[in-house]
Amino acid sequence: MPNLTVGREQMGPQAMCRRTLLAVVMGAGLTFGAQAALVPELGPLPPIQYDKAKAELGKRLFFDKRLSGDAGIACATCHDPKQGWTQNQPLSDGYPGNGHFRNAPTLINVAYKKVWNHDGRIGTSLDDMVREMITEDYIMNMDMRIMQERLKQDPLYLEMFRDAGYGEPSNGGVRQAIPEFLKSLTSRNAPFDTGKMSTAARKGLQLFKGKAGCIQCHNGPLASDGKAHNTGVPENFGIFLNPENHQAFIAFALFQGIENYMNLKRDPGYYNVTLDQADMGKFITPSLRELKYTAPYMHNGMLATLEEVVAFYNAGGGKESRKSPLLKPLGLSEDEQRNLVAFLLALSGDPLTTAEHIWQQPFPAEYSAIENWKDVRN
Amino acid sequence: MKSSARCYLPLMIAVMGLMITTGSTAQTIKGGMRTPPPLAPLGPPPIPADNPQSPAKIEWGRYLFFDPRLGGDASTGCSTCHEPDQGWSWAEDISRGYPGTVHWRSNQTIINAAYYSKLFWAGSSTSLEAQARAASKGGVAGNGETDIMEARLALIPRYVALSREAFGTEWPLLRDAYRAIAAFERTLVQRDTPLDRYLLGDETALSEEQIRGKQLFEGKAGCIQCHNGPLASDENYYNIGVPGVKRWESDGLAQITFRFELYAKGVPEELYRTLKDDPGAYFRSRNRWDMGKFRTPSLRYTLYTAPYMHSGQFDTLEEVVDFYNAGGVAADGRTTSFPETKSPLIRPLGLTGQEREDLVAFIEAFSGEEILIEKPELPPYAPLFTRAQLQAAQEAK
Repeated sequence: MPNLTVGREQMGPQAMCRRTLLAVVMGAGLTFGAQAALVPELGPLPPIQYDKAKAELGKRLFFDKRLSGDAGIACATCHDPKQGWTQNQPLSDGYPGNGHFRNAPTLINVAYKKVWNHDGRIGTSLDDMVREMITEDYIMNMDMRIMQERLKQDPLYLEMFRDAGYGEPSNGGVRQAIPEFLKSLTSRNAPFDTGKMSTAARKGLQLFKGKAGCIQCHNGPLASDGKAHNTGVPENFGIFLNPENHQAFIAFALFQGIENYMNLKRDPGYYNVTLDQADMGKFITPSLRELKYTAPYMHNGMLATLEEVVAFYNAGGGKESRKSPLLKPLGLSEDEQRNLVAFLLALSGDPLTTAEHIWQQPFPAEYSAIENWKDVRN
Repeated sequence: MKSSARCYLPLMIAVMGLMITTGSTAQTIKGGMRTPPPLAPLGPPPIPADNPQSPAKIEWGRYLFFDPRLGGDASTGCSTCHEPDQGWSWAEDISRGYPGTVHWRSNQTIINAAYYSKLFWAGSSTSLEAQARAASKGGVAGNGETDIMEARLALIPRYVALSREAFGTEWPLLRDAYRAIAAFERTLVQRDTPLDRYLLGDETALSEEQIRGKQLFEGKAGCIQCHNGPLASDENYYNIGVPGVKRWESDGLAQITFRFELYAKGVPEELYRTLKDDPGAYFRSRNRWDMGKFRTPSLRYTLYTAPYMHSGQFDTLEEVVDFYNAGGVAADGRTTSFPETKSPLIRPLGLTGQEREDLVAFIEAFSGEEILIEKPELPPYAPLFTRAQLQAAQEAK
């Protein structure tokens, strides 16, 4: 039975039946190019409400290096607004002393997602995602108890937490305030949303929905089905040839309980969630919004440009026995490939690089002492 | 809360009375003073049956002790704070701590640590192996996590070979790394001090001044009540009146760590809000009568381990002696924040200037030559796989 888009962890017998049906229908869809009816439409993102005071606090926290163990990096280090809220390099920096084994995803529109991380291992809330990023040893390596006490030492945080309704600085407050800030990072004025697309982009959209079949997975307002697929992206050997990167990978695989992790020469992807071999090498469909700013592409940054990405799919994806049957050589002409790239770029809006989204004030170089320390309550 | 604490008080007193009675069977009480075990030459360190010494283990441990990759951001290893040139300790009041933090206690010398059955100032680890683990992982110490540290070990070929030789595992285990560090630390002992030589019969090993100091130590000054036996420590917990750290009143970074320790070690919220001094052994027992108590440290090697006390409150041995002479009060008049638990053994001693000098001279006899070793050149990382292996795996997907 071919791989399909439904996560295996959801599959009871009933779901299995639905999957069979879905396979038949999708097969028909592919044949007749009528599959658009089966998937959510592309479209504008719904507006998202957030609390200004909480988001303002979250913004300061996001840019504050004191949220990492050795105070060396902030969220914004690997999710840099000037680099599309990611890093324009194949693999994320990770925590000082080690590298990383995946490409940092942009945080624009992150609040719309239902699952996070390229392998989809967090499907609860951004609150949990924030906790994961702050505490994971190869990411920010922060003991959140130290973090709380650092924040309590900063008079401005005392004020901001209070104004945001969180009381005194706490780990729970951080886990709520940063997601509130992330809700403010949404696409703005993307030509696709404003209706001001070029002719090439319009042609690209037709290919996207039709001949190229992108919409099978890249659908809905985010242009992502939020599900795991194996597209056969080649491994990034740098992960395994550079001990700084490899140690992060080993630490991850060890902690996640993936067997034989010392000999693993590939990123297991969604297998990490299901421990089902069929899911080896699957990754969650990324959103296609804001790609203009977020090169390189794929979970491991193996494709440098959108042209390369389109050429990759035009060739039917990579070489991989478990590759999704949705991927087949597309036979797109060079002109069609250019139009497809034009459409992808039309999904990118204004860069979010102003004071509205970037904390501008400097952080104190030292922690001020609490006066009358012996006389006040901790 | 207060009324219920009062209800427990009679019970507490009864229990403590019982403890003292029981203790008296081991240590006879004469005229209110215990007769403690005498000072004695230091024998070979105890080697735990589950971690026997071996050359490969010691060699691996020697590397690991100096390797900062055994810490969070690969900057802070054992020797970062236990610096051989600083008495295998750290020559500031409180230990430097992990980058972005400062510690809250003075770190203790590694020399002769092998003899303790209780490590850390509040005795929170009962073996060197457990101590190494706690120090490498603590948020204001090594701040390392098991996963990343164990991953790093596997990427250092020399360590893979040494751990295989020492422990027989295919890949290095962090647990074994701690065992190797402990094995190395069990080689860092000093048994040939002037005091050891004197106690073994060499009467010329101590000066006349030091011999007078020994008599004070065992008599008028009463040091031996707690600093006894071969290690010059009874490994019991006492509040001797050491005041809190001045730095906590003026150093924001230190204030952060102070609160973190209360939070991380776990105290009732009211104590988290109100404590302004290190409650020490209270963290272990959660008994109020252990507030401000710390485990008696050895006096061995103290010539090289200034400053002194659990948070480096005193810079010199003279200050320490003056503190005891004043009955547990510092020169500036400061004393413990927990006067209710202060040991009755600590009383003004009435030592003359000459007697204080003699005592300091004798304490110096607990130290031999400074122990310095050449730091090993650390073996590098190497990739586990070749490009050809990765290519083959890629083809096979």
